[in-house]
Amino acid sequence: MSPNLTYVVVVGVLFAAGVILLLERTLTRVLMGVVLLANGVNVLILAGGRYGGPPIVGTTPDDEMSDPLPQAMILTAIVITLGLTAFLLALAYRSWRLVGQDEVQDDIEDRRIIELAERDEGPEVEDVDDEGTS
Amino acid sequence: MTALVPLPVVIPLLGAAVTLTLTRFPQAQRLVSLAALSAVLGVAIALLVVVCVDGTQVVAVGAWPVPIGIVLVADQFSALMLVVSAAVTLCVLVYSIGQGLADGSEDTPLSIYHPSYLVLTAGVTTAFLSGDLFNLYVGFEILLVASYVLITVGGTEDRIRAGTTYVVVSLLSSVLFLTGVGLVYAAAGTLNLAQLAGRLDALPDGLRLMLNCVLLLAFGIKAAVFPLSAWLPDSYPTALAPVTAVFAGLLTKVGLYAIIRVETLLFPGGPTRDLLLVLALLTMLVGILGAIAQSDVKRLLSFTLVSHIGYMLFGIGLANELGVSSAIFYVVHHITIQTTLFLVVGLVERYGGATALDRLGGLAALSPLLGVLFFVPAMNLAGIPPFSGFLGKLGLIEAGASAGGGLRWALVAGALATSLLTLYAVARVWNLAFWRKPVTTRAEAAQTEGGPALPRLMVGSTIALVVLGVALTGIAGPLFDLTGDAAADLLERAPYVDAVRGEGIR
Amino acid sequence: MLVLVGVHAVMAVVAPGLVRWLGRRALYVVALAPLATLCWALARTNDTVTESYTWVAQLGIDLDLRMATLNWLLAVLVAGIGAIVLAYSVRYFPEGQQGLGRYAAVFVAFAGAMFGLVVADNLFLLYVFWELTTVFSYLLIAQDPTRRANRWAATQALLVTTLGGLAMLAGFVILGQAAGTYRWSEIEANPPRGGHLAAAVVLILLGALSKSAIFPFSFWLPSAMAAPTPVSAYLHAAAMVKAGVFLVALLGPTLGADPPWRPLLLATGVLTMLLAGWTALRQHDLKLMLAYGTVSQLGLLTAVFGGSSRNAGLAGAAMLLAHALFKSTLFLVVGIIDVTTGTRDLRELSGLGRRQPALAAIAILAGASMAGLPPFMGFVGKEAAFDAFLHGHRTGDLAVLAGLVIGSTLTVAYTLRFLWGAFADKEGKTTTAPPIAPDWLVWPGILAVAGLAVGAAAKPLGGSLDRYADLFPAEGAAYHLAVWHGFTGPLGLSVLVLVAGGALFYYRHRLPRLGLPFDGSAVYQRVMNGLDRLAVELTGATQRGSLPFYLGVILLALVAGLGGILIGPAPWPDDARAWDTSLQVVVAVGIVVAAVAAVRALRRLTAMVLVGLSGYGVAVLFILHGAPDLALTQFLVETATIVMVVLVLRRLPAKFSERTIRTSRLGRIALGIAVGVVAAGMTFVAVGAREATPVSAIFPELAVSFGGGDNVVNVVLVDIRAWDTMGEISVLVVAATGVASLIFRRTEALQRRRGVPGPAGGPPGWLGAGPSGQSIILQVVTRLIFHAIVLFSVFLLFSGHNAPGGGFAGGLVAGLALTVRYLAGGQAELTAAAPIDAGMVLGAGLIVSVGTGVLAMLAGGQVLQTAIVDKHLPVLGDLHLVTSIFFDIGVYLVVVGLMLDILRSLGAEIDRQEVAAG
Repeated sequence: MSPNLTYVVVVGVLFAAGVILLLERTLTRVLMGVVLLANGVNVLILAGGRYGGPPIVGTTPDDEMSDPLPQAMILTAIVITLGLTAFLLALAYRSWRLVGQDEVQDDIEDRRIIELAERDEGPEVEDVDDEGTS
Repeated sequence: MTALVPLPVVIPLLGAAVTLTLTRFPQAQRLVSLAALSAVLGVAIALLVVVCVDGTQVVAVGAWPVPIGIVLVADQFSALMLVVSAAVTLCVLVYSIGQGLADGSEDTPLSIYHPSYLVLTAGVTTAFLSGDLFNLYVGFEILLVASYVLITVGGTEDRIRAGTTYVVVSLLSSVLFLTGVGLVYAAAGTLNLAQLAGRLDALPDGLRLMLNCVLLLAFGIKAAVFPLSAWLPDSYPTALAPVTAVFAGLLTKVGLYAIIRVETLLFPGGPTRDLLLVLALLTMLVGILGAIAQSDVKRLLSFTLVSHIGYMLFGIGLANELGVSSAIFYVVHHITIQTTLFLVVGLVERYGGATALDRLGGLAALSPLLGVLFFVPAMNLAGIPPFSGFLGKLGLIEAGASAGGGLRWALVAGALATSLLTLYAVARVWNLAFWRKPVTTRAEAAQTEGGPALPRLMVGSTIALVVLGVALTGIAGPLFDLTGDAAADLLERAPYVDAVRGEGIR
Repeated sequence: MLVLVGVHAVMAVVAPGLVRWLGRRALYVVALAPLATLCWALARTNDTVTESYTWVAQLGIDLDLRMATLNWLLAVLVAGIGAIVLAYSVRYFPEGQQGLGRYAAVFVAFAGAMFGLVVADNLFLLYVFWELTTVFSYLLIAQDPTRRANRWAATQALLVTTLGGLAMLAGFVILGQAAGTYRWSEIEANPPRGGHLAAAVVLILLGALSKSAIFPFSFWLPSAMAAPTPVSAYLHAAAMVKAGVFLVALLGPTLGADPPWRPLLLATGVLTMLLAGWTALRQHDLKLMLAYGTVSQLGLLTAVFGGSSRNAGLAGAAMLLAHALFKSTLFLVVGIIDVTTGTRDLRELSGLGRRQPALAAIAILAGASMAGLPPFMGFVGKEAAFDAFLHGHRTGDLAVLAGLVIGSTLTVAYTLRFLWGAFADKEGKTTTAPPIAPDWLVWPGILAVAGLAVGAAAKPLGGSLDRYADLFPAEGAAYHLAVWHGFTGPLGLSVLVLVAGGALFYYRHRLPRLGLPFDGSAVYQRVMNGLDRLAVELTGATQRGSLPFYLGVILLALVAGLGGILIGPAPWPDDARAWDTSLQVVVAVGIVVAAVAAVRALRRLTAMVLVGLSGYGVAVLFILHGAPDLALTQFLVETATIVMVVLVLRRLPAKFSERTIRTSRLGRIALGIAVGVVAAGMTFVAVGAREATPVSAIFPELAVSFGGGDNVVNVVLVDIRAWDTMGEISVLVVAATGVASLIFRRTEALQRRRGVPGPAGGPPGWLGAGPSGQSIILQVVTRLIFHAIVLFSVFLLFSGHNAPGGGFAGGLVAGLALTVRYLAGGQAELTAAAPIDAGMVLGAGLIVSVGTGVLAMLAGGQVLQTAIVDKHLPVLGDLHLVTSIFFDIGVYLVVVGLMLDILRSLGAEIDRQEVAAG
């Protein structure tokens, strides 16, 4: 099966745009990145199936139909993405309610250890003597 | 007996649906979930027996002949995974019910918890049973979305932060997985794993390597393989104790299951073996050093979790029978032990009022029971004989040594070093949290009042898991027989493929 | 033998209870376990006992047990001294001692593990017991774990010995694989040669030396003196530290010939003996003096066994017995002194000899054996050792002999110093001490007398020990144990040693003050600190805690790995087509422009609209590709998405927060483009490589014949791959649940999910028209069209099987109808339109779909199997029904439930919270 370059290009652009947004800190941007990526994957799957008429018996002869299996996969994927989008939105709203913004925060514990590393120290918790006479 | 095969998926889904309609009757919800998961455990055990007696069980869903429709395949490997995961999820459910009863639904809406938890179980079982690549993806989605809900349940600030990291990374892995599925279909024109096994062999090596790597990347994220593992210690520890426990025990193992399945069935003998070995070594060492750097028990355990994923990768990468067999044995061991330890830490948190090492102390004296409940699985995790951790490790080392070669020997050395460092890490927890004099006011109060009473259900379920973990040592012989056969079938491929073809168009 | 191990285990389990019941006297009961073992072993002197049970045959680890001479000797020592020390502990600990129950349990468990160790015939089983002794000693050393020093010492012993143990394990694996068996008696029968055997030997010796505190691992033993003295007497004199020596003695006859074995043991052994002996001379703490003495003696034993000749083996066995007896005696004596006088410092102690003659007598008996005075066992063993090396046939024997002589001289000296320090009168000092209970004193007494007795009975004893010694390759005349061999070279050496030792003690004040060349503990500490630092540095470098960083790493892996494959081995197709219809290009351009613009957009709403546009563009691509169902769903989903996003975005600031710094932005763009290129490349390669015909080729005919529907895609969704769809709707259900859980967080709040008739008035903000926030016209219009839309959605549902549509499309349309109602009239309208719990709808939908699957099974078919019902009904005409429609109804319900849930949460509840927040 010879690849359709138009699809290939669309896949590339949607992936690129999606990734750029995904790497943002703003959760809404991340969400949009996910949506773009999802569309990109859908086109990718579409490209893997034969081009043709609507796969409805009677309207199209069997041998001219577009491949129905990728379509089923894509349809499933689309609907799953809908659910995920809703969830991410709720997440964004929640974090906005909590910290007044929808930026993804860094992990505090990790930050602590990074600082230890910068100060050239060992793990914070030393086994100190309880009688204070270490 | 193929009627059993779909049940581990169908039962929890029905259970979830029912609990959804019962949001206003928590008592009924609890009963339904308990009934559902107990049933799943029963079915899983029965299925394992059937599979061991009559061989691999295959179901063509909707009676659509292979490879038209979706097939569910229960071979020894998946049946074993089903049993272990069912047992663990049931124990954790009991634990969380105990916790919920104790705390009420203040920051955990249980009406949400039960359906999500059941769907999570269904997702795991779907993944284990699926004989179809896209359906495997769907299984991952089910368990992932359920895990998104569970990890953020309560919506506190740190859970939202950690949950966001977890959700977004998982979304990326799903995108990659789906990409892989799309590419595989594009190249091979089918989704049925057994048929793919044949069709992929016909493809040019470069293409097979490409498809293999895309899927490995997607699964590697879920299985927390270094360098794709950094998300895990940031996200797991913030969740509810039972949620963290079941995630730590199960979810990464589903990723490993997928890796084993794909590597053995779809891309056997590929050049990714050595890659896996290198990653295994890095995962072990970076993970365990991460654990040593931690000062919070939950995070420390999360890092040991990552580190020990390396052991299982080691076995997969060896791709010889003893290696794969030991890897499967280690998966069983690790699911049990890691879950147990997180449940114990949940108890520690209730009892000592913290999980930060600098705020804990004297627990061994305050509650000898808690001491035993931690010490035994901790030693098990550190691979101290005669526990299952040691047996799994021994199998891997023998397999590595028999394979020979510089890289294999490096892995053997790395595995031994990791085991020593794990011992160091858990000994540190023991010294500080259990042996040192109490340091927190809470713990001192506990000393005077004898500590807060721990809910009986929570302690009971934890004890059950500790016992299960120790029992693995006793049944190690038969268990190794089982994993050995499973490994042989996996490496041979034919048993799986033939069983599925048997359902095909004749 | 396994039974005896089991007895110890059971005793360990019941011990805490016993102690709670009987107080410290319970230790007598606990001592019965090792006592039974002792009797059992004594009853089997001079015969070989074997047992075997399978455990994990696949790994070659089975419960093989074997008691030959050497094992018998160790078993007797371990069990006998174990019992005595337990009995001794009764008086050592005050009544009501904290943690005595744990002490008893762990102690007897240790004794059991130790017995298992010395009778194990399977290398791995030996390792199992080996590690168990390590762990139990960890627990025993820190008997009072609240003191940091104790925790530190315990952990040090644990890690050092485990390190060695793991090396040993690796050695065992190599040895076993070379031999083809892990059972020692079989390896002994036909020993392997060559291969990695040298490596195996070194690794195994690493384990043995670390366990027996041989240089350079000596340091952990003195630190371990933090343990209670009975523990030291047992673990650090009689039992655990002997494990390493035992291993050397066990493997020696077989592996002794291998190159690294002999030199390694002789060198480290002699070195340890001299260094530790010298250090012992300089201790003031009696217990520490004994500790260094023990290290020194372990060095002696290692060297003697390392000689690996028949006579050396015999000497080693004799010395091992002697040392176990006298050293544990002396530890017990020190324990009594410590408890009664409250000090172990020989500068404080004075006049004990007169006050406690019995104690002094016991100490002198043991000391005499340690110094090697005839007729004690210590003398017999040392004579044998001297003889073995004096008449040895190997290079370096004489050098070793010199080392032994000097070492023994030191031994004599510190023995004298010990006795003098403990019991002599020192001017200006008197130590008061209460009388010692006889039922306490008796235990060291027994051991001391035993030391004398076995010495006297050297000949018969030697007879049985010969059976072990003869395992070594015989060379020269066979030596036999005896107190008196006449005036021989060894005797001369013994005299020399005694004289020189006496002189050394006499002139002890003139000795040069030089300490050990290096301090092992300090090295250990430096290593651990270094490890901690490494851990922090590495973790700080890899665990950045930043989500974009993690995603970046993953994507870099993608680009590096798959990009590499694409450039390298990937097969590039040689033919490709630009498009199927030129319209595709037009649409593609639209998609690309919208996507790029979305990336650049600064306002949330703008960005979302642009993303939506690219989505619609994809929908058009679907149409052109011949996928009407996809297109329909995509249009509906994009619309629903935009609505949801708008519902939430109206709460968030209109603009994105300020852009991050330029460099990281460029990095992101570069990475994004790279990923895009790789994705495109992979698509190109994968699609181009397709030759096989897809399985879906026969779907159309099957769809009609089996599926009973013309719309193939719908048949695939609700029948062929209904299992996927079932999973998918459960995803929707749980996602909806998650949205609710994040928005209404409390259970009670969740009740609002059912929709309570809220205050008249639409959502605040720009959506509501007019001051009252509500537009009559809009509401009227929506009410008019609402039912029409819902009816249409139902039509889509039922026609879906044969024409574009189906449950998803239908459900989404119905959901949009609800959305319109909500947008027009807010909470109140929504409730009026759908006065039900979203959760109920979701649950019901899932029940229906999964239920149809189960019913099919109950009807005797496969899960989710469907049936086609064709009936001629009067009046109505022909009925053509496919049961899969019920499945699709479930799907429809779930989707409606999802939309309703979203409107309730992201819409109504957010309104409420905002109003509440003001």
